[in-house]
Amino acid sequence: MQDTQKKQVLLVGNPNVGKSTVFNTLCNKKQKTGNYAGVTVASHSGNYAYKNEEVEVVDLPGSYSIYPSSEDEAIFSKFLIDEQKNYAGVIYILEALSLKRGLLLFQQIQDLGVPMILVVNQIDQAERRGITIDIQKFSDALGIKIIQTNAKEQIGIEEIKEAVLNNEFLKTDKTSFEIPTQHKDFIQKLSSDKGLDNEYKAWISISSGVDVDKIESMKKGLSDSEAKNLVPKRLQVQETVRRYQNVDRILANVISKRPQFKELLTERLDKVLVHKFWGYVVFLLILLIIFQSVFFLAEYPMNWIDNFFAWLSAFTGEHLPEGPLNSLISNGIIPGLGGIMVFAPQIGILLYFLYLLEDSGYMARVIFLMDRFLRPFGLNGKSIVPLVSGTACAIPAVISTRNIENLKERLLTILVTPFMTCSARLPVYSIIIGLIISDGTFFGIQYKALVLLGMYLLGFMVALLSAAILKGFIKNQGKTYLVMDLPTYKKPLFAYDFKMVLGKVWEFITGAGKIIFIVSIIIWFLSYFGPKQSPNEVVATNVKLDHSYLAKMGKAIEPAIAPLGYDWKMGVGIITSFVAREVFVGTMSTLYSLDDDAPEGKVIDKMRHDVKPNGEKVFNFATGVSVLLFYAFAMQCVSTLAVVYRETKSWKWTGFQVVMMTGLAYFVSMIAYQILK
Amino acid sequence: MKEKGLHKLSGFPKNKMGKILGYDDDQMKMPSKIIEMGLLPETAFRILYQAPFNGPMYVEFGEEKSRIALREEEGSFIIVEELN
Repeated sequence: MQDTQKKQVLLVGNPNVGKSTVFNTLCNKKQKTGNYAGVTVASHSGNYAYKNEEVEVVDLPGSYSIYPSSEDEAIFSKFLIDEQKNYAGVIYILEALSLKRGLLLFQQIQDLGVPMILVVNQIDQAERRGITIDIQKFSDALGIKIIQTNAKEQIGIEEIKEAVLNNEFLKTDKTSFEIPTQHKDFIQKLSSDKGLDNEYKAWISISSGVDVDKIESMKKGLSDSEAKNLVPKRLQVQETVRRYQNVDRILANVISKRPQFKELLTERLDKVLVHKFWGYVVFLLILLIIFQSVFFLAEYPMNWIDNFFAWLSAFTGEHLPEGPLNSLISNGIIPGLGGIMVFAPQIGILLYFLYLLEDSGYMARVIFLMDRFLRPFGLNGKSIVPLVSGTACAIPAVISTRNIENLKERLLTILVTPFMTCSARLPVYSIIIGLIISDGTFFGIQYKALVLLGMYLLGFMVALLSAAILKGFIKNQGKTYLVMDLPTYKKPLFAYDFKMVLGKVWEFITGAGKIIFIVSIIIWFLSYFGPKQSPNEVVATNVKLDHSYLAKMGKAIEPAIAPLGYDWKMGVGIITSFVAREVFVGTMSTLYSLDDDAPEGKVIDKMRHDVKPNGEKVFNFATGVSVLLFYAFAMQCVSTLAVVYRETKSWKWTGFQVVMMTGLAYFVSMIAYQILK
Repeated sequence: MKEKGLHKLSGFPKNKMGKILGYDDDQMKMPSKIIEMGLLPETAFRILYQAPFNGPMYVEFGEEKSRIALREEEGSFIIVEELN
């Protein structure tokens, strides 16, 4: 690459205007597009090269105004203002169907003196509505270059690159918002006192409440009623209303409308999808279809993967030279990796559905439908998105709480989301359910599927219940509200989402794979060696599993886990699971592969036949239920904890979450085992 | 009786055209998002749907037929009148 300074540009706009689609077509990089406010949860950046110029594109979270009302909008405003020196300009995306709303933020940024290019996306949609936009007049009125795009069809993308290359970002000198006359002198003075290059920046420092102490001196020389109205929020409202009046004036000259227009797809779909009754039926059906696919579609690839690893383990066991290395590879590493790979299809299918739902705009409808039902639990309709994505993984789910405006509702959502049945629990549930539930069917549905569905419901119920309890212990912070855009439905990007899913699944396999690889090796070492059995040994090698260091360690913690019905092997499994839940399967695979004289058998069969010293089966119904409950409730994921700490910025709440969840898990599993045994 | 045609947005009949007149917000409790999203005086609107048990309202408004979801609590800040 050439030694050129990378040019940085920002991608800015309201949520749901196709900003991320533009980003994806520009940068061709792995990144998530969403049609739901809040999918682009943090600022992502990507690169592209065009005619020997390297450009870095930063995709900021969507926002409606420079005044933030939620965490992701705060990230947006901070970046836009603080980094102004570092970027070449802003590419502002406007959706042709909601020009008015989009121009509010556009004008605010323009008044900050930021150089911009304006992109009007989805003009075809507006034309279908009978709306014609006179781009030339529009461009003259705003004093800016306008590019028309249809990002999904890749139309106009080349023009954006060309405009960036030629630095066609424009600033205007005249501001669209006139600072009210009674404040003008004060703002001018404040601006020069602070050495700001722009009066609007001084205005923002007052109206956003940053310079609260300045407000008292601003009241001097004002009438009593004017002084009383001098509150940041009032100033913001004043600004917004004036800007909209200005936008109306501009648009009146730019837009022409034919009197009739066709009913859009969105209007027809919403007759059913937000219906008082059918809306919920459809939502339930969609959930059912998702879970049905996760368990039945995934069965075939899962069997292939399982058989492949069993074969690979047997093959390496036979063909590698006899000795410790042979047993490490064929009994330790391969079954450990296989144990996790086998769940890739399920995770992939679940994620794919979630992406499609987000992309299509349906998630906003789910929020609309669920808000009333989540409120009694101290949650917001917007909490449904983290809760549903929590069934894939709690990490992105916790991050996606950033668009919940109310801090208490956001904290509650973060605290309870890890109760949702994430995909890392699936491997554990599948194995245990396979061991303790019989093969029968109930009205054509397998018992096993029903129990698994029950586990999902249990996670959801406990999330809600704990929110209802915890809401009494968290201070109210501000008013709760729901004011949310309902975007038009869009055809999801099937192929693109599929690529995204493959990426995510690969991340899961390699991420979990690395941990499992290391844990497998440690476990193998601890089980291959044991305390010396004859006086002339330092350590004993190739010991029977029962005499190994691992057994010693497991047995040391047995008293703590015995009330839950676990033997020392499960103890080892649970301890290693505190890194990540799915490690349990790898640990079990390794342990049971080491324990047998016929290593080529499937691990699950060995687990089924394992017995405690007293002849009782290790995995009987009572211990199985106890393990299921423990994994349902315990906080066993280091990565989630790290994200919770980052999002709450509080050790208190992060620690509380660990203690609450794991304590509940221990308690409930113990009660269940003691009753059922 | 109430002044002719004057209502709050919450409780306004469904599927009737209305127009926003202003806000009832002396305590300044109204989320500024309402105005930012474009629910401004003189804007025409129609409530299309409402979620059960007095859940959020689904409001279509403005020239561009934007759609917004808001709760009854938020709707009670907005003063509207019926359009014929």
